[in-house]
Amino acid sequence: MLNVIVIVLLISGLIFYTGAAVGILRLPDFYTRLHAAGKMDTLGSLLMVLGVALFNLHDFLWTQFISSLKIVLILLFLFILSPTATHGIVDAGVRAGLKPWTKEQKK
Amino acid sequence: MKTAGIIIVLLAGALLLYATRDFPPWGALDSPASTHVSPRYLQKAMEETAVPNVVTAVLADYRGFDTMFETTVIFCAGIGCFILLRVFRQRPGDRYYRHIATEITLHIKGGRIPKKSSEFERIDALWTPYDLIIKTVCRILVPFIQLFALYVIAHGHHSPGGGFQGGVILGASVILLAISHNMRTAIDRFSEKTNNLLMAIGVFIYTGIGTVCILLGAGFLDYRSLSAVLFVDKIMARSHGIFGVEIGVGITVMAVMISIYNNLASAGKQDEGL
Repeated sequence: MLNVIVIVLLISGLIFYTGAAVGILRLPDFYTRLHAAGKMDTLGSLLMVLGVALFNLHDFLWTQFISSLKIVLILLFLFILSPTATHGIVDAGVRAGLKPWTKEQKK
Repeated sequence: MKTAGIIIVLLAGALLLYATRDFPPWGALDSPASTHVSPRYLQKAMEETAVPNVVTAVLADYRGFDTMFETTVIFCAGIGCFILLRVFRQRPGDRYYRHIATEITLHIKGGRIPKKSSEFERIDALWTPYDLIIKTVCRILVPFIQLFALYVIAHGHHSPGGGFQGGVILGASVILLAISHNMRTAIDRFSEKTNNLLMAIGVFIYTGIGTVCILLGAGFLDYRSLSAVLFVDKIMARSHGIFGVEIGVGITVMAVMISIYNNLASAGKQDEGL
């Protein structure tokens, strides 16, 4: 049962990562690429790290619980930091005067 | 001249490649390193030093002298950057002050430096308003980074880590403050004088522990003699000695990181910068 949940989490994380990779390659400009990288990176890592934390609890022991707790803490910081980093990069782009891509512009 | 250089490089490279053929193969069981050196440490390190992480035991105890000079090299790098980059006599150039209530910016060219007041704040020449989100997140995060750095230093006995890594993380936390706010904020919290003193104090702690060992009648950095001072047996004294040394390394690495960053980012003025 636990294995099934872990596999589902890992695979859905992987789907998000694939989406991010395709988005970075295919989207037209800086901001949209960053959107793909930032959003999907957060959610993809969230699901995968959660899967690892659950898998670690396979045999329930106190020491295993502690290391799972540490993994969940990583997750928490990732959840705060990854959007902040994306925000910082976008902010720098706006200040440097980079115009967002519009439909009229050709690629 | 250029072709001569290329020929010399190619010759030296070919010689080195030729010499590697005489090395024992990767991981060979009959090589000198794995016949007596590695098994000796792997089997005896735990019972001799009570440190489960063999790398830490070798680094800070068996090869403690080497690590001491590695720390000294880092200290010298910090001092070198300081001497090369630091500008001591600076004319008061253009300064910008902002009236906080009305947000009017004053531009002062040269002359005397105005006194600090609560109505004006000094801003950098290339000033952009600092982003609230980044500022807040970094301010919340810095204590956690420092806590983790202390964990890495203290947990070097059991897991990968130790003084060098922990010191770099500690330095990074202060550099993060300088990046997310501005350099003056970071220097106000952690002044240049303290920082340069800490650079030397770290090396002093390392060599001091070694000298205490001499004073207690053993060799330099022979931590077993510390058992008389620490009131533990000889094996645990080695473990505690390693810990003390790691603290010294951590302090030096942290201070050198911050010093190099401050001097590079502000072009030696330690005044305004990134």
